[in-house]
Amino acid sequence: MTFTYPGAEAPALERVSLRVEPGERLGILGPNGGGKSTLLKLTLGLLPLHPGGGTIRVFGRTPAQARAEGLIGYVPQRAEPELALPLSVRQMVTLGAAWRVPPWRRVPRETRERVASLLHLVGAEEYADRPVGKLSGGQLQRAMIARALAAKAKILALDEPTVGIDAVGQQRFADLLAAVHRELGVTILIVSHDLRAIVAGCDRVACLARRLHSHVSPQGLTPQVLAELFSHDVAGVLAGVHIHAHDAATCPDPSHAHPRLSSTPDPSAPVQVSISGRGDGHKEHP
Amino acid sequence: MRTLEYLTLDGFWQAILAGVAIVLMCSLVSVLVVVKRLAFVGQGVSHSAFGGVGVAAVLAAAWPAAGHPAIEFAVIVAFCMLAAVAMAAASDRRTVQFDTAIGVALVGSMALGAVLVEASRRVAAAVGSVGFTPRSWESILFGSLFPSGTWDLALAWAMAAVVAGSAWLIRRPMLFWTFDEPTATAFGVPSQRIKFGMMLLLTVAVVTSMKLAGVVLASALLVLPGATALRLSDRLGAVVALSCAIGLAGLAAGVVLSFETDMPPGASVVLVLAALFAAAWGATARAGRAPARA
Repeated sequence: MTFTYPGAEAPALERVSLRVEPGERLGILGPNGGGKSTLLKLTLGLLPLHPGGGTIRVFGRTPAQARAEGLIGYVPQRAEPELALPLSVRQMVTLGAAWRVPPWRRVPRETRERVASLLHLVGAEEYADRPVGKLSGGQLQRAMIARALAAKAKILALDEPTVGIDAVGQQRFADLLAAVHRELGVTILIVSHDLRAIVAGCDRVACLARRLHSHVSPQGLTPQVLAELFSHDVAGVLAGVHIHAHDAATCPDPSHAHPRLSSTPDPSAPVQVSISGRGDGHKEHP
Repeated sequence: MRTLEYLTLDGFWQAILAGVAIVLMCSLVSVLVVVKRLAFVGQGVSHSAFGGVGVAAVLAAAWPAAGHPAIEFAVIVAFCMLAAVAMAAASDRRTVQFDTAIGVALVGSMALGAVLVEASRRVAAAVGSVGFTPRSWESILFGSLFPSGTWDLALAWAMAAVVAGSAWLIRRPMLFWTFDEPTATAFGVPSQRIKFGMMLLLTVAVVTSMKLAGVVLASALLVLPGATALRLSDRLGAVVALSCAIGLAGLAAGVVLSFETDMPPGASVVLVLAALFAAAWGATARAGRAPARA
């Protein structure tokens, strides 16, 4: 799949081929400007894929169909909700599913019960009736994860979820994601340029700097892989320090990639991004 | 008490009941206007009504049948809606900043209205329209509660029902969109349609309330009740109820103030609402409480 923004000279994503298995926790790691958020927006159907640009399938459906069916729960980067709107946490989470309920019907009891169990799962039960505007950043993020899952999404997509969170908060966040994965069995996509977030919460890592540079387990993120992905500050990365942004154009060519890495070596090969499903394998939270 | 004398005037209760409908409608919409920071959009839409009044005046001068209040209302709503859509489209395409688009529509419509109202007099003279009189500038600018006929009363309640009913029908996706537009879009909420619906509700509320408050003050009714209520509570249901109560209190106190001091009723109502907001702001600031960024 290749994608170029209108008016841009270079593609934001070039010949990216990626398959995510159901129930997998995939981290998409890369520098700022490397195309991570673009890939996520394409998968969510928020950006249109140009004709001839390849295909994206989510559980066998187009991104727009998947979005319409609520298959993907999305937690945005730097969410800036209108906190002046006096919603309680419970009301906000319920809206994630209830906005589809016909206006003449009450929110079904099943939805209300699911919201209650999700609030318990993410640890937001004690402040469920507090106004959203009075939450801390970490509390708001937990509530947003619950909202993303309220409509029985099969995929939880998080865009830069650990920006601005300290080390303790990041560990709590990793524990939270592990609990969500264990209880609900959802597929988790984490897009980040923060190595710690990826290592703590993912089974597999896709390194993206316009092209797909590697496809390894978190343990496979060797200094050599990171050096190829990020042009500098590798020592900082390995010390657990936040990775600095750099120009995507300085990323190495995939043809020079680490032997472990895989890109799309054959230009004639079919290219696609696919997140395929196991039908009804999605676990229901009790 | 001059107010007691007014109670027995012909049309008094019709005017008050029309005012109640307008205030309830605006108070309901104002919560969303404040939260979504659409106050300046309300200004743009209300001032666009100048252009609508001008177009309606020319039509009425040329064809007396077009001077019916229903046709005039429809023309002004259509004109304001066009202006609102143009403002939104210009900003969506990022060709101009949203506030610039509003500013251009605002001053352009006012100028167009001034030109067309004058042109309507010439058209009326040219076609020999007997008895044609365009609206006075004072009534366009500041509104007038009296005289209020059955038509005004019916229109106010019909539009209040349309606005309240529409808001109820789209309340869930609209709340999601209001709270977090980018995420709501990612969830599949039809953001463009909700945005269009919101602009339509705003336009209908503004044009209907022009009768009471005029072009200049109509948008005030779309800000002050909601802004005051948001200072006083952080529960959605309570905020909506408080907003309506504050709007009604402002209407009652403003009408009494108007009668007792012989001042324009629209301006008096808005002054009372502004005083209530200042009081709420002062009280919550002293209590160290800031429930909203309103």
